[in-house]
Amino acid sequence: MTADQLSILDTATIEKLQESPLKVNLMELGFLPGKKITLKHIAPANGPMAFRLDETLLALRKEEAAVIQVKLIQ
Amino acid sequence: MAVTLSSPLTKTLKIALIGNPNVGKTTIFNQLTGLNQKIGNYPGVTVDKKKGVMTYQGNSYEIIDLPGTYSLYPNSEDEVIVHRVLNQFSELEKPDFVLMVIDSVQLSRGLFLATQLIDLGLNLAIVLNMSDLAEKSHLEIKTFELFKKIGVPILRTDARHQKGIDQIRELIHQQNFSNPGPFIEAKEFLDTNELVDVREFFDLDNDYRAYQLLRFGLKDKGLAEEKIAWISKKLESVKTDLEAAQLEETKIRYRKISSVIQEVLVKKETVEPEESKLDKVLLHPFWGYLIFGGILLMIFQAIFAWASVPMDLIDGFFAELSSWLIETLPQGPIADLLAEGVIPGIGGVVIFIPQIALLFGFLAILEDTGYMSRVVFLMDRWMRPFGLHGKSIVPLVSGVACAIPGVMAARNIGNWKEKMITIMVTPLMSCSARLPVYIILIGLVVPNDHILGFINLQALALLGLYLLGVLGVLATAYGLKTILKTDEKSFLMVELPTYRTPRWKDVLLTMYNKSLTFVTAAGKVILAISIILWILGSYGPPTTMESIRADRDAKIAVAENPEQVEEIEREASSALLENSFIGIMGRAIEPVIRPLGYDWKIGIALIASFAAREVFVSTMATIYSIGGDPEDDATIRETLDSQINPVTGNKVFNKATAFSLMVFYVFAMQCMSTLAVVYRETKGWKWPIIQTVYMTTLAYLAAFITYQIFS
Repeated sequence: MTADQLSILDTATIEKLQESPLKVNLMELGFLPGKKITLKHIAPANGPMAFRLDETLLALRKEEAAVIQVKLIQ
Repeated sequence: MAVTLSSPLTKTLKIALIGNPNVGKTTIFNQLTGLNQKIGNYPGVTVDKKKGVMTYQGNSYEIIDLPGTYSLYPNSEDEVIVHRVLNQFSELEKPDFVLMVIDSVQLSRGLFLATQLIDLGLNLAIVLNMSDLAEKSHLEIKTFELFKKIGVPILRTDARHQKGIDQIRELIHQQNFSNPGPFIEAKEFLDTNELVDVREFFDLDNDYRAYQLLRFGLKDKGLAEEKIAWISKKLESVKTDLEAAQLEETKIRYRKISSVIQEVLVKKETVEPEESKLDKVLLHPFWGYLIFGGILLMIFQAIFAWASVPMDLIDGFFAELSSWLIETLPQGPIADLLAEGVIPGIGGVVIFIPQIALLFGFLAILEDTGYMSRVVFLMDRWMRPFGLHGKSIVPLVSGVACAIPGVMAARNIGNWKEKMITIMVTPLMSCSARLPVYIILIGLVVPNDHILGFINLQALALLGLYLLGVLGVLATAYGLKTILKTDEKSFLMVELPTYRTPRWKDVLLTMYNKSLTFVTAAGKVILAISIILWILGSYGPPTTMESIRADRDAKIAVAENPEQVEEIEREASSALLENSFIGIMGRAIEPVIRPLGYDWKIGIALIASFAAREVFVSTMATIYSIGGDPEDDATIRETLDSQINPVTGNKVFNKATAFSLMVFYVFAMQCMSTLAVVYRETKGWKWPIIQTVYMTTLAYLAAFITYQIFS
């Protein structure tokens, strides 16, 4: 699954980043394979999503989150 | 100001300050340099060049505050500048040392950029800032271990609480910067044989720098043409996939950094960060928007309440100065030009400072507390269908007070297309200068009645005009979205930083810097246009003007009492304006504005108020030779109401004409200060001209339709 499909408060491990022009931008922000992310907020009407990654809260648009392939942690 | 010149024997050392966004870099810059700052330009881009001078133990050091960035990869204009300065493409901008500021809580992200700088071969020192936050998050950084791993000097500071600033000064003074050699070798992620001739051509001793130049050199328009040509040609023959190499570099770098971090970072316990609770409310799908609306309302109330006092004072001061000059200077064209052209022109610039300073003060507070990126998060979804970005909300909302700070705030938008659309539509928001025009015209034709018992019709009309402006913004933005083309991809990717109390010193500095920028950059244009308009309004064909004056003097000579003299003077100044060059232009455009329901007198007011909308009211007062206090709405309203069209015998200001005028002012540019700021922000006359043409056209068509509906 990809990060945009997570539900609120889901925590997941990043498996890999799919090919996209945004891949490098996501990586420099710290979205790297092996890292854990938690979905904390979603803005209304399919708006941006805010993920906790380490100590920071990072907002991404839905299509940007879709680049991140994740595995849900139960 | 302190002495900024270094002794002629020693060259002033240049230190570039760099770091990720939101790491407190600007606070450190402000504390090192104080008010000793200068804002300049980098060639080819709209990014401001912020420089300051630090004096320490009798020596001066030049500090360059670079825009915040996560990496050396130049994705936006800001990052192109970082890339240019740090790759030392140009001798002029070449820093001697680099001071890298890292947020202690975001160690790995900071080290990503820091190690790139090391690989570029730059002499570096690291400042681990926000040590207070690290403590709060129960993180401990073993600084000495980190130093051993990375190999560059490291300082710990808490700039917000003024801790460690002296140590930074001392470090700079001691020139305690170093480079330990590559953190990762270029050969780990690409075939360095490809770089041999790049190194030769550009005379470089470093593979990583050669790779950066080859990969990103074309993004920077600051590079000499023959060098760009050489890179383009070289890129055709390169066999390595440079994009893949960049990804590989990123992976390797982060892998190596996380192994460093494992040894230097001790996480004592995992605690849920405090802002989670606040964000539950502030990012709430309902409460979040409501609170945002409430904050906006408070800001506007404050601006209207606080700005009006200094604005009245400024207004009064320049009026006094003008009349004092008239009385003191010998009569003649020079005295007139000074008293009625130059002084009011300068006053017209200065009058905006309270609004600009206050608005930027509030914006700085919102930014500094970390709330602004929450607003971007909430609004992005609603802005995008119109080709705007979440960040566009700031300029648009500012536009309700004044378009000038709004346009200036648009520079934070990274994507060129979204920035241009924002700049182009912001002046359509109904600003405070339109309010006097609206109020007079509404008072003229809308009865002060209530419908449904409590809704005031006049208030409803006013609300309607504001909504019309918003509608204009959305429609125009949508139109521009389909017209403007760009290859840049729009993305959000914004950090929602930890909530903090604002740093008041930085807020004050922002207010000061923004006001100064406005005065120095836009002031000249505004002054020039006001002088031209004054000349056009006070001169006309000499024979006509002379005969009006002679007639006036003859009448005054036989006048019986001061009231009569006043009356004669009013009529004469009205006649003088009618026969001036602006008057002639007003008559000339009458056929064009007749379909909108305007006569030539309104035409004169339209031309005169091209510089600033609020001039409409005072010009109307002069044309209709309204006595008494021209600031008094009631007198103007009465006089305007009694005007009869000599041809039709109907009132000049009937419903149709008044509504048509209101709609015209909703859409028309009519503000040279905004034009001047757009000129500055877009670095040319192309966009301000396009903007004036489209807004005037829009205003004309909308006013035409309005007149046809109501007549």
